[in-house]
Amino acid sequence: MNSPDTAVNTIGLLPDAAIAKFLTRGMQTGQESPPLVALRKAAVQPEPAEARWNVEPVRELLDEAMNRFTGRPSRADAWLAPRLHATLRMTRTEAADSRRWNFLAMITAPDYVVWRHKGGEIVPAARFSGPHYTQAFSRLWWAAELFRDGYDYRPAEFACGFQDVLNTTMRLDVIDHRPTAHTILRLLEELRNANTPDLGVRVNALSSAVNAAGSTLLYDVFAPDEAPDHDAVQDWVDESASMPPVPWDRLPEAPDDGKVSERAISALLPLFTQLLEEAPLRKRGKHSSTDEEE
Amino acid sequence: MKAAFPYPTLFGDVSFEVTAVTVDGSPLPYTHVSKAEQTVALHQTGRDKWDVAVLHIRAALPEQELADGPWTDAVCLAVLTEKATNARTSGRLTRVQDGSWQGRIELVRNNHLNRASLSLTVAATLDNLPGRVIGTAERDWFVDLKVTTPVRQREIEIVEIDFREGDLEWLRPFKEAPWIVETTGEIPTVYLNTSAVEGLVEVLHGKGGSAEEKLLREMTSSQIAQDAWTAMFHTAISDLDLDEDGTPQMPGGWREPVLQMMLPDVLPGRQLTDALFDINERRTKGFGWSELQTSVQYAAGRRSQMTKKLAVATRSVNSVARGGSQ
Repeated sequence: MNSPDTAVNTIGLLPDAAIAKFLTRGMQTGQESPPLVALRKAAVQPEPAEARWNVEPVRELLDEAMNRFTGRPSRADAWLAPRLHATLRMTRTEAADSRRWNFLAMITAPDYVVWRHKGGEIVPAARFSGPHYTQAFSRLWWAAELFRDGYDYRPAEFACGFQDVLNTTMRLDVIDHRPTAHTILRLLEELRNANTPDLGVRVNALSSAVNAAGSTLLYDVFAPDEAPDHDAVQDWVDESASMPPVPWDRLPEAPDDGKVSERAISALLPLFTQLLEEAPLRKRGKHSSTDEEE
Repeated sequence: MKAAFPYPTLFGDVSFEVTAVTVDGSPLPYTHVSKAEQTVALHQTGRDKWDVAVLHIRAALPEQELADGPWTDAVCLAVLTEKATNARTSGRLTRVQDGSWQGRIELVRNNHLNRASLSLTVAATLDNLPGRVIGTAERDWFVDLKVTTPVRQREIEIVEIDFREGDLEWLRPFKEAPWIVETTGEIPTVYLNTSAVEGLVEVLHGKGGSAEEKLLREMTSSQIAQDAWTAMFHTAISDLDLDEDGTPQMPGGWREPVLQMMLPDVLPGRQLTDALFDINERRTKGFGWSELQTSVQYAAGRRSQMTKKLAVATRSVNSVARGGSQ
């Protein structure tokens, strides 16, 4: 058994089944505090104990986010995503463990989940425990992971400035091909710089067009992705033992595992531009203006 | 499901196989690669730590057709993906002297969780447009990180644990149940309670034993199977992703094979996509949901071979009652 102190200070693993049992409507509305004792008992501690599983740096970051973005919580995403990613240093294997995200949402920071996602009456349960693109914290970590360019978090920060990228683009399997993801962002940046109206609608149109065309076009042929340097990721994770807290006013550094080739992006860019031009723009339906919109 | 392509694609078969695997440089035992099951089992007992597995791949393309057709610059690409970790790695195959295509692809341990899918795509230039997909291998290979035996159909995980005093706190409230089925995770799990019914777990483990013991074992395991199939079905249809026009998508992971096996029994005579649409309508709108339960139960019973086991059991009871040998 761990001493109570370690248990309180460590980000543990909370099984999905515990969410079904303990997530109440009261918690989803933010009017009830979670049953911490019972939840802690249901959680297991990560083995071995490592500095990167400390609750404190994450909690501090979330407090700062709530402080900085008072009254405009969705703006916090772009600030928080890279910083959360650089604080919770882990491999994709570890990040795919939903229990870790459950723990953060139910025990470490249920107040953050409510603050960020309570648009209407209640916070959807999937924000506490859900798929990687929906859960309050995993969506940010994965956005940073999927949109960073090697050590450079700037594209990830940019991507998280658009709720439609988080809600739509991030769901698509095509963006697991890094040049595809970065070309979408590049095009989005061009549109924003040209002050194009209805950016959200365009992001959605572009994403689904790229996704649909991906079933008949092999983007790898245009834009081969060089395999990232996996040792760099491991080194970056290992460094967490002695890392200082992430900076608040400049971006931290992501693992230096290799940038996406510029040639690959320029090869895809004309193709995606054409796809966007041909894509039908769908007017935003009522259902998409949920708690995500400001 | 085959997509319709608005341009000429390969008619002949595209197939591929994993010919060899090395893990951190040393060869993976031959028995871990099954061509029949199209599965690689990467887990080796006593060898938990490894970083990179390299899969060697050989593909066979319809060469004659490829040569005669309108396509140029054919590219043959193997792609390794896992949804849980958003991982995607690709490797190009090159044509070798014997006419086959060969290449390799790396699987980095830190990028995967349970099971990766390995697919093969052939693309070519057509009407000056490069990268047109003109063929894909019919069936993906699975590369499983958690098992030592290469089988496609993954078994349900079974955990034996004391609900009353074991490590898993959340099982306490179920302490009187002999087993429960949990389907929220990556792999559906049956938790067998070692403390609810004394001796039950031993009976389930036994191989021989008396006719009564066999009977109890068979009946219990098919009852567990029935519960598991029912729970898996309900979980698999419970949170379907919708595409833009509201068509439910086939879920990934274990949910897909479960639906593929059960939907034809739940809604007979329907195409999978139609059945999925219908199920989702009923679930979200409520009508016809209760009627469906009967066929879910029927489908689960078929999967757990309830009738067969009951028939065998009844016969053996009768023969015991008559005092005969088996």
